[in-house]
Amino acid sequence: MKPLSYALAPLLLISTSALAHTPLFACYDNADGTVLCEGGFSDGSSAAGVTIRVLGDDGAVLLESQLNHLSEIEFDKPDGKYTAVFDAGEGHRLEIPSSRILP
Amino acid sequence: MLALTRTLAVAALVTLAATAQAHFQLLYTPQLNHADPATLPFKLVFTHPAENGPVMDMADPEAFFVVHRGERTDLLEQLKPITWQGAENQGRAFEAEIPVRRIGDHVFVLVPAPYLEEGEGYIQQFTKTIVNRGGAPTDWNEPVGLPAEILPLVKPYALYTGMLFSGQVLSDGEPVPGAEIEVEFMNHDVILEENRMRAEGHLEFPSPAFETFVTHADANGIFHFALPHAGFWGFSAVEVGPVTEHQGEPLSQEAVIWVQAHELR
Repeated sequence: MKPLSYALAPLLLISTSALAHTPLFACYDNADGTVLCEGGFSDGSSAAGVTIRVLGDDGAVLLESQLNHLSEIEFDKPDGKYTAVFDAGEGHRLEIPSSRILP
Repeated sequence: MLALTRTLAVAALVTLAATAQAHFQLLYTPQLNHADPATLPFKLVFTHPAENGPVMDMADPEAFFVVHRGERTDLLEQLKPITWQGAENQGRAFEAEIPVRRIGDHVFVLVPAPYLEEGEGYIQQFTKTIVNRGGAPTDWNEPVGLPAEILPLVKPYALYTGMLFSGQVLSDGEPVPGAEIEVEFMNHDVILEENRMRAEGHLEFPSPAFETFVTHADANGIFHFALPHAGFWGFSAVEVGPVTEHQGEPLSQEAVIWVQAHELR
């Protein structure tokens, strides 16, 4: 019985935390040919490891990577229009079009 | 009986002095919440915000900086002297325009030079105004490490009218049991471009007793205060810092924090 309780404890914590937070995502044009994106959650929890995708104008995946330990990622600015996607799973997906990524 | 009379007389004097001392260091910016990156105007004024009262001349501040994700950025060079027009007089004050880009909390801190109140000694108010970008909480509940500091226990930028604001008074990082906290409402809107406050206030106080509220911290230095009106509220824990003398005069090192309450709608 005991091992079961221990196994459940972390699951409960994860589900509580998922209910209490809203994903946050922001990107900035560094004006040097690179783009910086940062993520977070409204409850202060880290977004480290969250999947980031950069999509071209045609929807093609130009880059797929993860936010680093500071919940940040820097990538080369694609030519033309693009969209940065923060994907922390169902209900936690945010997109920013390049028209809203400013210096 | 004589002793009692004398005690009462002294008590009355002390009360008067306390009322007269309700100075507040403003570290004002019009909005604490920002959805997008923005350049924030700041006005640094030493005055009596509840009644748009006398303005005291500020000397050049000792420090002005912002803390974001634990990293401190010096802003002292960004300050420009201005003349603030109070209802009764003018005073030397400062302004700055500071860009806020990254999401999270930006804890703005002002350490003014001690101000000499003739006949009473020096006052130095270590003042915090915490701005949030994007809704991510990062720094608001961490002490900056000031000699006198109010550590908020509730996000100071996410308050509705009627909510309790709670804070902990710290002196060199240690709680101050029973600390006295003065509370004032910014009753007069700031007109940024004219460096003054609007003459008409939001509230008509029934008596001067309502201009400065007073509460006390518990044994752990923790206090609570319900915010009855939307706008900015200032909290000042008086005589809490470790240094009590400056240039041969008594010094009151005080901890100030500004919070913003929003209409419940």
